[in-house]
Amino acid sequence: MASCKATDAVFHVDPPPAAKKLREAFYSAHYIHSHIAHFYALAAPDFVMGPTSAPAERNILGVISKVGLQIGGEVIKHRAYAQSIQASIAGKATHPVGGIPGGMSKAITEEQRKDFEEKAKSCVEFSKFSLKLFNDVVLANKDYLNIITGNIYTMKSYYMGLVDSKNKVNFYDGDIRVVDPDGKEVVKFKPAQYLDYVAEHTEPWSYMKFPFLKKVGWKGFIEGKESGIYRVSPLARLNVADGMATPLAQAEYEKMYKTLGGKPVHATLVFHWARLVELMYASERLLELCQDKEITDPKVRNIPTATPDEGVGVVEAPRGTLYHHYQTDKNGMITKANLIVATAHNYPAMHMSIKKAAQALITKGKAATEGLLNMVEMAFRAYDPCSACATHTLPGQMPLEIVIYDSKGEVKEKLSQNLG
Amino acid sequence: MKTIILGLGNPILSDDGVGNRIAQELEGKLAQRQDVKVIETSQSGLSLIDLLADYDRAIIVDAIQTAKGKAGQIYRLTPDALNETRHVSSPHDVNFATALELGNKLGITMPKQIIVYAIEVTDTSTFSEEFTPQVKQAIPKCIRRIIKELNGNHHNSAKL
Repeated sequence: MASCKATDAVFHVDPPPAAKKLREAFYSAHYIHSHIAHFYALAAPDFVMGPTSAPAERNILGVISKVGLQIGGEVIKHRAYAQSIQASIAGKATHPVGGIPGGMSKAITEEQRKDFEEKAKSCVEFSKFSLKLFNDVVLANKDYLNIITGNIYTMKSYYMGLVDSKNKVNFYDGDIRVVDPDGKEVVKFKPAQYLDYVAEHTEPWSYMKFPFLKKVGWKGFIEGKESGIYRVSPLARLNVADGMATPLAQAEYEKMYKTLGGKPVHATLVFHWARLVELMYASERLLELCQDKEITDPKVRNIPTATPDEGVGVVEAPRGTLYHHYQTDKNGMITKANLIVATAHNYPAMHMSIKKAAQALITKGKAATEGLLNMVEMAFRAYDPCSACATHTLPGQMPLEIVIYDSKGEVKEKLSQNLG
Repeated sequence: MKTIILGLGNPILSDDGVGNRIAQELEGKLAQRQDVKVIETSQSGLSLIDLLADYDRAIIVDAIQTAKGKAGQIYRLTPDALNETRHVSSPHDVNFATALELGNKLGITMPKQIIVYAIEVTDTSTFSEEFTPQVKQAIPKCIRRIIKELNGNHHNSAKL
């Protein structure tokens, strides 16, 4: 979706209202399937089964056995609903082909709209159920609540996310708002201005870059207001916004901050709760769009007439803010591209979250059990990272060296490939 | 017997799209077969449950990379072989074996017989719709073998 918006900008064309609504409906459906999969398959096992439970049971199969087979069916059904809406609007759910410069390749019929509306209603009900499950299983358990809000999973940082003109969360469009660790707005900027606010630090030991807020500066891997490290994520979006644009999601938003003592929340494991608040927003927003008759307007594209040159497109991907920036020749062939994806924004913070959890949990004289190691992994899993998306690979073979040291710090073995 | 043929992969990532290409070609060749449905997809994980539901037999076609494999080699595998690797195909979803188990557990009618045709590939990182020469040569061979399989014949092939 960021690439669609970047190509609109490259061709200096604004899509008609129905195209924007179709894109947002498609994107809301994308959020529904992505957030359901992450919560039930990746996050819930740690809480429903317990963070130190046996790994053979700590998976979606264990979750379904415990909470009920019927719920498993609902998970599969609503993911499938969301994906069928995506495929109907844009050809395919994965690798969609519907977005083109200036709009969409096809309109939808009244029959499709009605079908989407029924599915969206069902997704709203499923979102209610998912939040209730989180409430009953996680929040009602004091031990879990202590883990979630405990210091080892807390990191004070800046936050970044898209907001609409009323500073409400928006996945598809808006301005980029940044708040400091006290929750105070430090800047709000347009997508095309991103290079004025975001810079990237590099380290010799990583293929990924380390984005930071240019005006605060890179101060190393440290927390707090002095450090330019920021985070994007479901929680970041809620932290930067003044609320949600739909009623049920707004009520859940208020409940979350009330329970956790106000804004902003720095607890990394609250990403999961925020993800469910967003599942509700995505479902409600999808329903709103499907009840808007304009969405079936056959005019879904403005043909570009300007000479293409350069453009930036920004959306909120399920894992966080996504920037696409292209420069093209006069035929629209890309000559330069820059992408900053959610996992890249979070990369500095991920290192710190893992280190903090590991240092607190793995202590001298205490066996590092599988359960403890899983609790370290939980700090990482909350970000739902995709390192493959975030790495700027060089052509072909990856140079890599692995050095294995013994407990005295002596090199025992060196393995390497393609070091040239 | 209702059969689904699923060609999996990324069609713009060189050899990774071999499953998609085989499915595209089979779709034309099997258009008259009412008992066979052919789908090419880049989906994985939980989505496979939706695609496989209500079929008696599934033939899955995908790219594979093994430690000592020869490019273009075709393997015929059953789900037991997949249990050897619980490696996830995506960090955001479950693996194939888990998806199958979940489908069965939820009472969804999953295919009783699942056969995987895996083609040994070399290049899965170059953006291209072309294949490397050995993989390209394997495409018609694999198509012939799948058609034979549909007709109740298959010959034993290389094991992993």
